[in-house]
Amino acid sequence: LIIKDNSLRLVSPEQALKELGLTEHQLRFTCRVQLQEPHSDQDTLNRIYTHLKSVLKGYTIQHLPDGAVMVESIVIKVTSSAEEPNLKVILLSWSYQDEELGSFLSTLLKKGLPSGL
Amino acid sequence: MEEPPELLSPKPLLSGAVPLEPFLATLHKHGITEVKVEETPEGHILHLQTEDTLIQLEEDGTHIVCGNNEPLRTTLRDLVLRFLQKL
Repeated sequence: LIIKDNSLRLVSPEQALKELGLTEHQLRFTCRVQLQEPHSDQDTLNRIYTHLKSVLKGYTIQHLPDGAVMVESIVIKVTSSAEEPNLKVILLSWSYQDEELGSFLSTLLKKGLPSGL
Repeated sequence: MEEPPELLSPKPLLSGAVPLEPFLATLHKHGITEVKVEETPEGHILHLQTEDTLIQLEEDGTHIVCGNNEPLRTTLRDLVLRFLQKL
């Protein structure tokens, strides 16, 4: 809600910032979660996708063709090294606007994936 | 299992910038003293050596890259937020 030229208007927060001459500051987080998973990176990502689908009802969960899973605006990727192929490093990246969900997901994935997937 | 958060309540937009020296002083006050500062064309990268964490400070953005240390992440988040305006 902004007051300008003696009139009151409802605008989007982004528009309000612009009209006030301010620029938005993006606060982002990237967290690494390590898991022992004797599967390929791709299979691990599929397992994460299936797990999140069953835990998170009502959220938009997408499996992107470039090898990432997205929950709302949170991006999840899986990597591993040739030396330790079973040690998966899961990268979660989110912005402050998705803070609760990002924090929840990093805590959830830290507990590992259920074996029945 | 802990319940997922309710569908997202909007967070305030952030504005402003995080100034390097005052931010370093704040980290110091919170016991984070081993910080290597690297200059980049867009700003600075802070390497928190003991914590294995990076903080990228730029004029219009801050990126915190950490291991799975949730207490540390939330502490750093709150320290960054002190310098920003919430709208």
